[in-house]
Amino acid sequence: MLARVANNLFWMGRYIERSEHVARYLNVNYFSSLDAPNLKSQDRQFVLRSMLFMVGDPEKDAKKNLKEEDVLYKIGLDPTYGASIISNIKFARENANSARDLISTELYEAINKFYHFVINYPKEIFVKNGLHDFTTHVAEMTDILRGKIRGTLLHDATYAVISMGINIERATQITRMINAKYNDALLSQDGENDRFSKSFEWTTLLKCAESYDMMRRFYKKTPTSISTLEFLILNPNCPRSVMNSLNQVNQHVKMLNPEKRYNKDSTAFLIGRVRSEYEFKYIEEIDKDIKSFIENILRSLVDISDKVDEEFFNY
Amino acid sequence: MFIAFYHVPFNKRISMTNIENQIFSSYQRNPELYDEIYDKNGKIKEVYQKLFKLYGEHSIIDYVSLNNKAKSSFFNQGITFQVYGDNNVQEKIFPFDLFPRIIDPVDWDIIERGSIQRSKALNLFLWDIYHDKKILKDKVVPIDLITSSANYLDQMNGVNPPGGIYNHISGTDVIKHKDGKYYVLEDNIRCPSGVSYVICNRTALKKALFGVFNHYQTHTVTNYAENLLELLESVKPKGVDIPNVVVITPGMYNSAFYEHSYLAKTMGVELVEGRDLFVENDFVYMKTIKGPERVDVIYRRIDDQFIDPLEFNPDSVLGVPGLFAAYKKGNVTLANAPGTGVADDKAVYTYMPKIIKYYLDEEPILNNVHTYHCSRPDELQYVLDHIHELVIKPVDEAGGYGISIGNKLTKAEIEKVKAEVKANPRKYVAQPIMSLSVHPTYIDDTESFEQRHVDLRTFTVLGKDKEFVLKGGLTRVALKRGNLIVNSSQGGGSKDTWVLKK
Amino acid sequence: MPREFEITYNAENVYDDWVHDAHWQFLIIPVENESQYEVEIEFENSLFAHTEESINGFGFKTLRIHPKKKFKKITFEAKFKFKKEEVDPYNFYINPDISIAYNEMQSLDFKITHERYLKFTSFTTLDSEQKGLFKFNNSISIFDNLEALNHWVFEYIKFTTGVTEVGTPLKDVIFEKKGVCQDFAHLFAALARINGVPTRYVSGYLDQESGYMGDSQMHAWVEAFVPGIGWKGFDPTNNILANTNHIKVCHGKDYNDCAPLKGIIHSHGKHKTVHSVSVESQQ
Repeated sequence: MLARVANNLFWMGRYIERSEHVARYLNVNYFSSLDAPNLKSQDRQFVLRSMLFMVGDPEKDAKKNLKEEDVLYKIGLDPTYGASIISNIKFARENANSARDLISTELYEAINKFYHFVINYPKEIFVKNGLHDFTTHVAEMTDILRGKIRGTLLHDATYAVISMGINIERATQITRMINAKYNDALLSQDGENDRFSKSFEWTTLLKCAESYDMMRRFYKKTPTSISTLEFLILNPNCPRSVMNSLNQVNQHVKMLNPEKRYNKDSTAFLIGRVRSEYEFKYIEEIDKDIKSFIENILRSLVDISDKVDEEFFNY
Repeated sequence: MFIAFYHVPFNKRISMTNIENQIFSSYQRNPELYDEIYDKNGKIKEVYQKLFKLYGEHSIIDYVSLNNKAKSSFFNQGITFQVYGDNNVQEKIFPFDLFPRIIDPVDWDIIERGSIQRSKALNLFLWDIYHDKKILKDKVVPIDLITSSANYLDQMNGVNPPGGIYNHISGTDVIKHKDGKYYVLEDNIRCPSGVSYVICNRTALKKALFGVFNHYQTHTVTNYAENLLELLESVKPKGVDIPNVVVITPGMYNSAFYEHSYLAKTMGVELVEGRDLFVENDFVYMKTIKGPERVDVIYRRIDDQFIDPLEFNPDSVLGVPGLFAAYKKGNVTLANAPGTGVADDKAVYTYMPKIIKYYLDEEPILNNVHTYHCSRPDELQYVLDHIHELVIKPVDEAGGYGISIGNKLTKAEIEKVKAEVKANPRKYVAQPIMSLSVHPTYIDDTESFEQRHVDLRTFTVLGKDKEFVLKGGLTRVALKRGNLIVNSSQGGGSKDTWVLKK
Repeated sequence: MPREFEITYNAENVYDDWVHDAHWQFLIIPVENESQYEVEIEFENSLFAHTEESINGFGFKTLRIHPKKKFKKITFEAKFKFKKEEVDPYNFYINPDISIAYNEMQSLDFKITHERYLKFTSFTTLDSEQKGLFKFNNSISIFDNLEALNHWVFEYIKFTTGVTEVGTPLKDVIFEKKGVCQDFAHLFAALARINGVPTRYVSGYLDQESGYMGDSQMHAWVEAFVPGIGWKGFDPTNNILANTNHIKVCHGKDYNDCAPLKGIIHSHGKHKTVHSVSVESQQ
């Protein structure tokens, strides 16, 4: 496979995954906040700020009164804003375009339909009453895309590259959500009954990661900070966990480079190293200093992405 | 052979009578034009009867809905080209018509043999003018055909392309004239495009109206890619066992990018851009995730001037520095070979009957349209005196650009064309206005079938001991009423084309 | 006894901004022919990038460089050592019946064989009123006419640097009557071709020890095909026939076919290029 095209496919995977996480974050936060148990979590300003924080664009002016329609438009449909859902999908399609000969017609057609759905979505409807419809549709479309990727592509290097993009992005986005919700949980502590560890925000976080039901099934208790983080970071059986994503990346890099030779400069080595760091960790070690953990894991994920770039995309 | 064809008063046009066929009930037939679906006696041709009946079972509403579905299928598949507006980019599909054109086996036989004959003759012509130049020395064609052609590449002199093939892929534009005979309008042997639409049109038609296929024995068109790949492998460089074939494209913003990716995908080969390739020690490599990989055969969809900035246009960012040296050394094959453009010059076209006779000792199977060379003083005078009944064409433009159709020009425009031709006589040729045949075509605006002019581009693949003509080809339709220019860049559409089995 | 030559070619390119991707192709190696032989090549660059030898579309040897790392400055040094036989430019025979040669030049076969060097390129195209600047006298031989043309061009243009550059059209040179060796060669070629003589532009080096005109860069002259004699070199810049001091690199229709250095550089900002050439010889 051409190095340039591999790079495009890698980023196609990343943008598809990113658009889904942003969409779900908007959806879950907006709707679960409507009837949240405490005032802070219900506050519109609080929710809008959380959304901006999650896409990496926090509002610095604490006094500014954010307009709901503006924030939703910016993150959802603003074509001039690079982190918006519409931009992510545009980038995904552009990357797919240049690799069109390598991916299946079915996958390309699905991406193309997705793109047309998003660019034709009326702005006025979206900001007034289309948020649920739009974001659910985006999440469903990404599911379809992942289905086409798994079900219509040859499971060779092409597949491995896309999957690596998806999983590195998933780990990144889950970490970003944890970061945003951690921040929200700190901010929303307002009384004896709602301490940090039992914050309502942990439930929202699990829902953002579509992992609430499975988490309840696994722990059979109301989510706390510890159990939520354990589930979303360390539990390899949770399909959205950082650990699970790293395992996937590890598996796919081996498809690209099956060489078993010791090579400490390889991507496989770096991924294995990061993965083994979290494989046998206690959640209590992370809980002590969540902030540093988040910084560390984000840095490791950037390092992995850079390494992939260096080893495979940059002849 | 000078035909003015839409000077027919409206009351002379006849409607189809005695047909319960509501879908065609408003079809206006101009008896001055050659309509593909009627025979000499004004009856619907036998090959079309079945189709006519089947389509007649639909109401126009059914048809509109099918047509819209077909369009959205093209759109979803991304079979589109981009139109750059003031502040946004719009995607458009190539207009496509659900009413197919049918070519019977007898007619097809002529077209197929004629296309192969022309491709072979052009190939021999190219070999000759880049080697001994016998045809010039024997005064069959004049020397200035090559000395004043911008597409004649001095660098190709004495080069022996692998398998002796220059024009591996040729696109021959054929029309049916009022006299019922086939004429060639143009040979395209640089990077002829359109073959992917042949296949897309077929797929779309099959999806929309699968029922009609049961009633006809139609040749498949999906075997193009395998034939192309077989050809490309047959012209591999010496010493290569299993050649690595790639398709090179100018990139995803090129209007034919869909076709490039389609061909790469169906052949199962890499689609590369210039920046994916590099030359080292006169061998060509592509940059893959596993390091450099050698490339042996390049199906190039980039024009000569852009393939190698060190040898040709130095500003080209599309090409590969050093590619031509690798080619000349025989380490890589380019298809089509560099320098083929000299032979699809419209001035060469006019000599085609002589060229066929000279190299193959055969009479041309497909007719040539008589051409006046403005470079010859006596013919120039004739052209200047008769512009109103001629088509004036620049010799070296493709895509239907720069064409003036005499009977559509105002007096002022005629004077302008005259001045331009007088200033650059070598740049222009003129031909009588041909009356392209017409075919019922669904027109969106009026939601009905109307007569539109059509042509046919055939695709011929020429390899070492191999020749293949895609049994179908692209029927292009001039969608504007009365318009003769069918090129997609000029607002043309296309039709699925059925070649019936014997 | 052949003379031993040593030519040193230096080039330096400096860029304002980093250059990440660059290709150069040098067309500077003395060609091997019956008088020049045993050419030895040494080529170095300041980035230690690998040098490839190749052959361009017209069959002449080139050197190519494609550095793998980014840079702002690169210098090249080429050294060529070779032997060259003494050339006596007047060692040929002219048939006293000069009409034979004129007739041959009129034949179609001749025009076809030499079509490449009879056609007019962007550098050798004259305005219609300039076409009559130099007319052949059919009562003397073609060679004598060419020598007269050589002299005429030498007299017509005053050797001046800095007036013309690589892209200056011939009609401007004719108007200014000033120029450098390329302009002399192009004017000669254009006028010889108008009179039916196939003429090719030659790029090479000139040993200036002998006091010839040129500058410390590459030189240009022409070769004209005289029926019955063959290709003869004329140096209109110096009003002489090409001799032992003319070291040929390549020939073509005009400068474009012979550009000594072609670069494909992707970089923003300005750049500066300096070339120098030195030719030394000993018996």
